[in-house]
Amino acid sequence: MSLRVFITGATGFVGRHVVAEAVGRGHHVVAMVRPASSTSALDAMQEAGRVSFARGDLATSKGLAEELAGCDTVIHLAAVKGGDFFSRFAGTVIGTENLLAAATAAGVTDLVAISTFSVYDYGKRKANSVFDETFPVISDPRGRDEYAETKLYQDELFWAFGAASGHRMVMLRPGMIYGRDQLWHPLLGGEFGPINLRIGAKARPPITYVENTAEAMVLAAEALAERPAEIDGQVINIVDDELPTQADYAIKVKGLVDVPSGIFVPLPVMRAAASSVAAINRRFFDGRAKVPSIGLPDQIDARFKPFDYRNEKAKRLLGWTPKFTLDEALARSASSADLIADRVQ
Amino acid sequence: MMSRSRALKRRFGPNRAQTSDIAPLSAEGLKPLRAAVVGAGAISLEHLPFLQASDRVDLVGICDLSEVSARVAARRFDATAGYTDVAQMLTESAPEVVHILTPPHSHAGLVRMCLEAGAHVICEKPMTPSAAETRELLEFASERGLRLMENHNYRFNDEVLSLQRVIESGEIGDVCEVDIRMALQIRGEGSRFADENVPNAIHLMPAGVIHDFITHFAYLMNTLSGRADWERVSAAWSNHGGGELFTFDDLDATLIGPNAHGPVHGRVRFSCRTAPDLFSIIVRGTEGQVSTDIFHPFLEVLVPRPGGPQLTPIVNHIVNGTRLAGSGVRNFAQKLLQHGPYHGLPRLLDLTYEALQTGKELPVTPRDIVEAADLIDALLAPEARR
Repeated sequence: MSLRVFITGATGFVGRHVVAEAVGRGHHVVAMVRPASSTSALDAMQEAGRVSFARGDLATSKGLAEELAGCDTVIHLAAVKGGDFFSRFAGTVIGTENLLAAATAAGVTDLVAISTFSVYDYGKRKANSVFDETFPVISDPRGRDEYAETKLYQDELFWAFGAASGHRMVMLRPGMIYGRDQLWHPLLGGEFGPINLRIGAKARPPITYVENTAEAMVLAAEALAERPAEIDGQVINIVDDELPTQADYAIKVKGLVDVPSGIFVPLPVMRAAASSVAAINRRFFDGRAKVPSIGLPDQIDARFKPFDYRNEKAKRLLGWTPKFTLDEALARSASSADLIADRVQ
Repeated sequence: MMSRSRALKRRFGPNRAQTSDIAPLSAEGLKPLRAAVVGAGAISLEHLPFLQASDRVDLVGICDLSEVSARVAARRFDATAGYTDVAQMLTESAPEVVHILTPPHSHAGLVRMCLEAGAHVICEKPMTPSAAETRELLEFASERGLRLMENHNYRFNDEVLSLQRVIESGEIGDVCEVDIRMALQIRGEGSRFADENVPNAIHLMPAGVIHDFITHFAYLMNTLSGRADWERVSAAWSNHGGGELFTFDDLDATLIGPNAHGPVHGRVRFSCRTAPDLFSIIVRGTEGQVSTDIFHPFLEVLVPRPGGPQLTPIVNHIVNGTRLAGSGVRNFAQKLLQHGPYHGLPRLLDLTYEALQTGKELPVTPRDIVEAADLIDALLAPEARR
C-alpha cells in the first residue's frame, strides 16, 4: 500500500522524522512548509521525487484545498508552543480549523490527529495509578495553562472532523518526545527565574524517542486506511517501553546536553507550596494574581506526578514496537549521522 | 470583509439563555446595554474581560470569520452567542453597542454597517487610514443620533492621569514641550509584525507598522500639549532595517505650534533599534518638568524646591528617588495582579458605557478623534517629510 500523505509541521523537530518514516515506508509525502521556512532537511527527498512541497501557512486557508487535493491522509503536527494565548490559539486552533476545512473541501477523509498528554486531567487519579487511554481528560479548558487549553480546543475540532460523514480520524497522544537537539524537557525540572527546580526524581516521565514516535504516526495512517473499522475514532497514547526515572534520565543525558544544575525539591513539598500559593491567590487576590506555571498545582501534577504509563493499545492497534531503546536513542541523538537520510535509504 | 462575512451564514450557541429582559440593573440602577464584538483576535482579549464582568453590559454576541474563534470567545467570556456573520449578529442579537476589533482596513465598512443597524460603535485605533474618512464616519454617526468612539486607552492609564494632574495643578507652569518616545522590538524574532509567512494587516496602512501606534502618539501629544495647533510639522520616516515587508520602522518628528499660553514644541520618536521596550513621556513647562513611562510606570517631577537653587537638585533627587522606590514595589504587585499597560482600557470603557447609559459626553470626544487623525495626516503629509 502506498499512500499520498499530507504532513503539516513537516520541517519541525518531529515532522522531519515523520516525513522520512513515511518516505522510508514507500509513501509519497506532500510536506507543508511555511513560505519563509528552510526545507534543507527534506531537499534530498524532494529531489528524489518522493516528497513534494506545499508552501503555505495555516493562518490562511488560501490555496490549501488545492494542495490537499489527491492526498489520502493528513498527519497534522503543526502547532504553536510558545507566546501568549492568542498566538497559540491562532497558530494551533485557527490553523487546524483552516486545515480541516480545506481537507473537507478537497475530499480528504482520513486524519491522523496529533494531540498531547497535556489534555489529561492529572489531578483526577492517585499517584502511581495505571495511565492509559481511559485516563480522564480535562473537562473544562478554561483556566488551564495556555498550551493545554489550546490543544483541548484543537481536539474538539479533530473530533468534529472525525464525526462528519465519510471521515475517519485516529488521535495519537505522544508523551514527552526527545531526540537530537531536544534531550532536556520541562518534565525533568521546572524553571523558576534562574533556578532549576528538580521536582521529584523517582517518577518515570512518559517519554518517547522521536524516531519511534514518527513510526507510530505513519503506522497510524496506514492502519486507518487498511483497517478503518478498527482504528477510526480511537485515541492512542504513544510512550516507549523503557521509561527511566527522572534521575536516571538526567544522569544518562549528562554530557550530551547542558543539564541545568538545580535544587532538588520533593514532590509533596512542591505540591504543598503550590496549593498554598493557590489558596492565597483565591483568598486575597480573587484568583487574579499571575503565578508562574511551576507554582500551579495542576501543572505540577501534569509534569511530575508519578504514574504507570502503558502503551499496550498502540502495540495492539498499530502493530508498533518502539524500535530504539533509550540507550540506542541517546547514541543516535549524540551521533553525527544523518538520521533523515538513514531512515529513507 | 463585509462581503465575506455576509457570505458566511452560520450561528452557534446560545451558551446561556437570552437574559437581557431580566438582566440586573447596574450599581447606579441603570439598565445594562446589549453589547457585541466584531473580531475575536488578540485585542479582543483586552475588551472582553470588561464586557464579561461589567454590570453596565450584557454581552450578547461575538462575531469572527473563524467559527472556532467566535465559539471559543463566546464560551470563555459568557457571551450569549457566537457568529461568523456580522449582519446576522446585528439582526439576531440586536446590540446597542458594537466593538469593532478587526484589522484597520476593515473598520470603515463595519462601522457603517453597525451604525446603520442602530448601534453605537467603539472602534479600535486607527479607525481609518485618513482624517477625511474618520470625519465621514463621525458625521455618519451624528446624522443617526448615534455615538462613535475610537479607543484612546493610554489616556486613561494611571501614570498618564497622574501626569495630567501635575500639569493641571500648574506645578510645572505653562507647557512648552512634549516629548513622546516609543521603543519596540517590532523586527525581532517572534514579533507578530516581522512574520514573513503571513504579513500582518497593519503593513497595508500608510505608516505601515508604525500606524499601529501612531494614534497613541497623536492623542497623547494633543492632550498633553493643551491642544496645540501644530502649524509646523516635520517628520523623518525611515526603514532602517530595509526589506520589502516594512514600509517604515522609524519615525523622528518635530511639531511646533501654539496652545492657549504660547508656543509648544513636540517631539515624536519611534525606534525599533534601541532597548529595552519603552513608552516614555516628558512634559516640560515654564516652571518644571514631569515625566513617566507607560511600560515602566513611575512619575518624576522636577520643580524648584524649598531651599532655593542650591538645594533644589538634592530635594528633587530625594523626593523622586523615594517615589521611584515606591514605583518598584507597586509595579511588582501590579505585574503579579496583571495590571498591565492596557489597564486604561477598562477604565475608558466603563466611562464610555456610563456616558451611553446617561447621555453624558463620551470620554473620547469626536473632536479628540478628529484632531488625532489630523495630526497623523500632518505627520504623513508629503510636505512634512524630510
